[in-house]
Amino acid sequence: MTTAIAIAGKGGVGKTIIAALLIDLLSQKGIVLAVDADPSANLNLALGLPLEGTVGGVREEMVKDIQKQSLPTGVPMQDILQGRIRATLVESDKVDLLTMGRPEGPGCYCAANHMLRLSIGRLTRNYDYVVIDCEAGMEHISRQTAGDIDVLLTISDPTVRGITAAAAMKELIQELRTKVGGVYLMINRVKGGPPREIKEAADGLGLHLIATILEDPNLADLEVKGIPLIQLPPDSPLQLGVREIADKLKL
Amino acid sequence: MTEAFPVDIGPQYEGDVIRKADLYVEFGGPKAKSKFELVTLNSPAEVEHGRIEVIGPDIFELEEGGSYPLAILIDVAGERLEKETEPVIERRIHMYTNYIQGLYHMNQREDAWVRLSKDAYKMGLKSLRDFGKILIFLYTSELSVIERVAITFITDEKRVQELLPHALEVYHARDERLKGLREEDVDQFYGCVLCQSFAPTHACIITPERLSLCGAINWFDGRAAYQLDPEGPIFEVPKGELLDPVKGEYSGANQVIAERSLGQYNRVYLHSAFEHPHTSCGCFQSICFYIPEVDGFGVVHRDFAGKTPIGASFSTMAGNTGGGRQAEGSLGMALEYMRSPKFLRADGGLYRVMWMPKEIKERYRDVIPENLYDKIATEENATNTDELVEFVDKVGHPWLRGEVELP
Repeated sequence: MTTAIAIAGKGGVGKTIIAALLIDLLSQKGIVLAVDADPSANLNLALGLPLEGTVGGVREEMVKDIQKQSLPTGVPMQDILQGRIRATLVESDKVDLLTMGRPEGPGCYCAANHMLRLSIGRLTRNYDYVVIDCEAGMEHISRQTAGDIDVLLTISDPTVRGITAAAAMKELIQELRTKVGGVYLMINRVKGGPPREIKEAADGLGLHLIATILEDPNLADLEVKGIPLIQLPPDSPLQLGVREIADKLKL
Repeated sequence: MTEAFPVDIGPQYEGDVIRKADLYVEFGGPKAKSKFELVTLNSPAEVEHGRIEVIGPDIFELEEGGSYPLAILIDVAGERLEKETEPVIERRIHMYTNYIQGLYHMNQREDAWVRLSKDAYKMGLKSLRDFGKILIFLYTSELSVIERVAITFITDEKRVQELLPHALEVYHARDERLKGLREEDVDQFYGCVLCQSFAPTHACIITPERLSLCGAINWFDGRAAYQLDPEGPIFEVPKGELLDPVKGEYSGANQVIAERSLGQYNRVYLHSAFEHPHTSCGCFQSICFYIPEVDGFGVVHRDFAGKTPIGASFSTMAGNTGGGRQAEGSLGMALEYMRSPKFLRADGGLYRVMWMPKEIKERYRDVIPENLYDKIATEENATNTDELVEFVDKVGHPWLRGEVELP
């Protein structure tokens, strides 16, 4: 059984670092497929992995090859796409990384996305965990290119704006055909406990607050030096917070 | 009878991925320079059934973790086999290899990629000969038309490279032959309703001579998608009776359109823009539109931002064309449809086309007849209908001179 976890939130709330730490933690329990579905996130850097190509790039290349008629006849396009996606997968010991890349250009992507859904679906069932770092609009969730989700973890900073964005994502995902298990909220970068106003706002918007994380003093140094963020010390607030979530959700 | 093999065999292993961390060795794939797979039909006398040859180092002689060159050459013979089936039999390499526990196959032809897991190696799959034996077993037990099979594996890089050009030639020749497939050659078309979420009465009818409007699904893809997921959005369309060979009206297609358009339409002409044209979704690559002033067609594609001679841009016209309607004289289509020998056959085909963006005209130079090429206007020759009338008069467009006979 594969457990799929999507992590979403507005920009700058620490979503990618939380995704990376969760991936690192889960990789001690099983094999993880990390999906970078945020074109501006660079999940690969946080994980210390190289970048070998993107699904978006494969999709564009397919569209071009179709126009040039340079694809082999008699071999299903689905199989060709699957092979090309496989070739962009970055493989490491316990974690493989799939980077979705830039969003669609103009034109029709119905067929391409349909094929992507099938290909990614076939790939993901080989993993114990799939962790998706989503951009705020959750394009790949809404297009179902990333498949069904067991846990949607929305991340916010302690601002009403961040909480409202998280609530909007919860609402968005419930309008979609994608099946979603639980939806949870995590507030990052609090100083002391979460401000009462923020807690009230989260309650008022029907968000299930699962954890709050203190501003992490160790993060800035890693960012400056360009060290993969998963190398945060184990007693860092972010590491502790991610472990807390994994425990609470029994991941 | 799989006891004789070191690993298990069965469709349950299909879809199992072998990750880099579990890999013993891999052949082909992005990291190996030379690789291909090729099935060749031979006379029974030329195929020594069951013969397996390995040229170059075998698995047990290779260093663990590496990527190596590989050619898989499969010779088959059978009384009822035809040259045309070679690609189908070759595609089975993909399917059968994935049936084998601990083996994993991706891609095709000169991109072939095979991975062997550490577990399978430990279980005793240490030679390509074992791989060959299983393939021969599967070929002969699954496809009764195959009477004899012999397999050669080449892992010697130089030998693979020497043989590759021949394989590429064969692939090319096959593609050319398959491109020549006609509606007359098949019994089934395929239908696609992927776009029904915003065009509820639209269904694409995909034939060997008419691909989906988005340009992404040809007849072969339709067939493959249907076989993969028979309950999915791509389905089989029995051709039925040919009611009008010129307009491309088939009873089977009519029936499907009636069902899938929820009764909105009950007839469809696959190769005409008039009366009962194909419905249009929203994501067609181009629009073929009738221009009354010249009694001909213009073709405009999605990437053309400017205005066509009739004063409307692609996006304006798309609004009037799409949504699942049959819009007479306004047809959403794949650009590649222009390569079809049946392209708007009932209306005069390419000889009825008077205008298209320069980019498209250049891209399709090889399909536009030489005596027509200079007579089709582009945005450089005509930006409104007055200029278009003047241009086609001046150059003497064959349609207007009455030189084109309708079938």
